[in-house]
Amino acid sequence: MRILAPAGFQARTAARKRIHWTPFLFLAPYLFLFVSLRLLPSLIGLTISFTNWSAVGVPQWVGLANYQALFIDPRFRDALTNTVIFTAMAVPALVGLGLAFALFLNQPHQGRGLGRVAVFTPYVIMPTVVGVLWTWILEKDFGLLNVLLGRQIPWLVSPSWAMLGLVLAAVWSMVGYNTVLFLAGLQDIPAELYEAARIDGAGAWRSFWSLTLPLLAPTAFLVLMLTIINTFQVFDLVYVMTSGGPGTSTLTMVQYVYTTAFQFFKFGYGSAVAMVMFVILVIVALIQTRAYRRGLESIY
Amino acid sequence: MRRRNAITATLWYAVLAGIVVVMMAPVAWMISTAFKPELQILTTQIRWIPDPPTLEHFQTVLSRHAIWRWLVNSVVVATAATLLVLLLDSLAGYALARMEFFGRDALFAVILSMLFVPLQITVIPLFLIFANLGLVDTYAALILPVGANVTGVFLMRQFFLSIPGELEDAARVDGANDWQIWARVVLPLARPALLAVAIVTFLSAWNAFFWPLIATRSDAARPLAVGIAQFLTLRPGLAQTVQAYGPSMAAATIAALPPILFFFALQRHFIQGVSMTGLKG
Repeated sequence: MRILAPAGFQARTAARKRIHWTPFLFLAPYLFLFVSLRLLPSLIGLTISFTNWSAVGVPQWVGLANYQALFIDPRFRDALTNTVIFTAMAVPALVGLGLAFALFLNQPHQGRGLGRVAVFTPYVIMPTVVGVLWTWILEKDFGLLNVLLGRQIPWLVSPSWAMLGLVLAAVWSMVGYNTVLFLAGLQDIPAELYEAARIDGAGAWRSFWSLTLPLLAPTAFLVLMLTIINTFQVFDLVYVMTSGGPGTSTLTMVQYVYTTAFQFFKFGYGSAVAMVMFVILVIVALIQTRAYRRGLESIY
Repeated sequence: MRRRNAITATLWYAVLAGIVVVMMAPVAWMISTAFKPELQILTTQIRWIPDPPTLEHFQTVLSRHAIWRWLVNSVVVATAATLLVLLLDSLAGYALARMEFFGRDALFAVILSMLFVPLQITVIPLFLIFANLGLVDTYAALILPVGANVTGVFLMRQFFLSIPGELEDAARVDGANDWQIWARVVLPLARPALLAVAIVTFLSAWNAFFWPLIATRSDAARPLAVGIAQFLTLRPGLAQTVQAYGPSMAAATIAALPPILFFFALQRHFIQGVSMTGLKG
């Protein structure tokens, strides 16, 4: 004991001396990549959006000109509208079905593991493959869906159906993710609460409305937020299935960023489109967080 | 009561069957089409089992496209990116969770704030950076940006916050330095968190499309996700879909089966990993 105590003390003081630089050595490799490939690019992106930078020539500072041009750009308006429509169609389906699947698969029956695997499998297939697969399923004359329906719906080749076709593929491929998140949320609710509710005479519906739903609110909030962010940035499926067409009927924001920046090499303008997306996402996140807080206050 | 239970159970199984069929039918249809002779593809007759099954579409795809190369590229990139993230994020996450230094919380806030910045904003500058370094169309261009991710650091930090400090104190009394504590005490405990980060990183690197589409120009580094996407765009005219679907589905099957089998083998870890990053990221 007499020997150990000073030794431990020494070790601790030594650690205190090193403390000034050891943390930074631990952080350095990550920070190097984070700063150079994430933080700086974000700031550069903001800066570029105020210039007329393209692949050739010297970039010039143009102030807000790119943003002003966006206002009267009909393709940008289409991209924004389409993205909002896609989000408005896909989000309720993804969140609603995800919740329904999770509630269903949370029932204590054998075989729910199989259901969970089936629901999640599409999520592990890469989105571009999902796009190729669904282009075939939605084919007008011989696609599986039309054959089953006994109709010839022009899913991806008509402007009025193309968006719905994309939504179908997106919901199929991503609903498993939400289901898994909801299932995790459901399993976090302590079983004793249901036991207590049952003893107090609450039926299945009553405990669902008064226990499950309120306690699932944090999960639902998170799932809603993630789903909005993900669907708002839809790109892979659009790129493969419609390339934004027919016409501009499925042109989305990210697709527009891609075309302006990497097909027409208007880096400044493309960055401005991306910045608008960022601002919209932040606003949505802020509104949701406020609504969520207010909702929580009204529950408790 | 018992009869009512039996009825609900039967109903439950009927719905389960419905869900399984709807979710798995597209996958089954993909595999089925891939093995079908040409004449059985473009027909309004639904036939699930090809008769006779054929490998011609696989031969077509493999002879015309560098699909093995894309597969190798995807495996190399996703594996390297995962190892990189595991190393960097477990180091950084440990420092952020367990060490005290000036500006730690501010630094963590800056890292977290990048979660809200969509990747599309960074993609244009990233392209310019890698073009200037002459690294476009290389593995480095695909791997390094994954190392700048936020979720991995966040998850590792959360995990390290949850382990009791006495273990580290004991190791320190025994004379271990910070590096030894990290490598011998903390990392072995972090296996569940490391596995979750590994699965999620691998899956997202494997599926990544937007950046790889921009950062690759040839088959040398092109990953599967990008290669497959060009299948439909490369087909000769929209009208001539006659020849496209067999080979497309063969390619889709080649690309989809490895992750599906991987998922079947590791399902519990997969689902845990994904729900962890979702709920806490």
